[in-house]
Amino acid sequence: MQSLYVEGNSRLHLISARVKLIVLAVLGIALFATANIALLGFAVVATGAVYFGIGMPVRAALARLKPILLTILIVAVFSLAFNPWHGAVVALLRLTALMLFAASVTATTTIAAFMDEITLAARPLERLGLVRADDVGLAVGLVVRFVPEIIGRYHAIAEAHHARGLKVRPATVLVPLIILTLKDADNIAAAIDARGIRRHVN
Amino acid sequence: MSTRDLVLSALFAAIIVALGILPPITLGFIPVPITAQSLGVMMAGVVLGAQRGTVAVLIVLVLVAIGLPVLSGGRGGLAAFAAPTTGFLIGWVFAAFTTGYISERLVKHGQAAGMQLTGFFFAAMMGGIVVLYAFGIVYLAFAAQIGLKAAFTGSMAFIPGDVIKAFVAALVGRAVMAGYPLLPVKS
Repeated sequence: MQSLYVEGNSRLHLISARVKLIVLAVLGIALFATANIALLGFAVVATGAVYFGIGMPVRAALARLKPILLTILIVAVFSLAFNPWHGAVVALLRLTALMLFAASVTATTTIAAFMDEITLAARPLERLGLVRADDVGLAVGLVVRFVPEIIGRYHAIAEAHHARGLKVRPATVLVPLIILTLKDADNIAAAIDARGIRRHVN
Repeated sequence: MSTRDLVLSALFAAIIVALGILPPITLGFIPVPITAQSLGVMMAGVVLGAQRGTVAVLIVLVLVAIGLPVLSGGRGGLAAFAAPTTGFLIGWVFAAFTTGYISERLVKHGQAAGMQLTGFFFAAMMGGIVVLYAFGIVYLAFAAQIGLKAAFTGSMAFIPGDVIKAFVAALVGRAVMAGYPLLPVKS
């Protein structure tokens, strides 16, 4: 699985993940606090400059925004049918600016840096006994490891359907897929505990 | 959480991610794409129950946040939380919890197949539709400034697809319970 991180040495790459996340949060609040079209328009231009200044080829930069931008546009058009145009334009500019900056943070922050921040954020919850901060990284690693296996298993089950002249239906594929996948849980858990990865087992 | 529970949640998160790699189905002209991933969220509830199902969905959201393109159509990264439809994404957590919570209390091991199916279907409808749409519609109305009524009307187009998904989730929940029961049943 390819991360959305983009290799580079723009100014945004050099800023720490924590600062970028705090700026993103502040920006999100600020954008929703104003309904001034000129100000929001400026925010779009500024965040756009940041995003396209990262050093991605323009086409690739646009391609990764397409699905979310499309959703924002369609909702804005839908909004025009029900509401005065001012609200639709405000929402369009607001969400576009937020999306551009969020995408900039994602493109310039490595997974490792994000994981460090998440682990740090989970520490207080750990003290409350809600989660174990290191489990977050373990779980992420497990998912990345098993997604390709599940996709392979899906194709094998679909092939078994074809071989028997059966139509591939959601229920008949999903049931074996889920059971086969979850049956591995005992072995994987035993392997994790045998290696002492979670140290104290409960 | 025991290691086994953590692994079960992670494996289910991987199943939800894998479901997003299959192409999404778009119904009508309204922006929320119909994906097998929301089916995955309902299935997390009916198969794993409230706690492990919720954790599975939380793991998926962590993957999105750290910049992996794990949502259907290759979406991911923090920008996925800046869409007008983000409420539906956040709502997944509560949808999985509700579905699991109701499943644990309605469905018993000795029940007739029809009863189990009905229980799972009701749980998936409450979690995957009532609770999920409550989050999605309120956020859509707020973020896109379109008002609750328009947000509600716009989202209605997706209900039929989600009812079908709730039914598929119920079928799967029952079959998994017969083949490899994991749901912690509460009396």
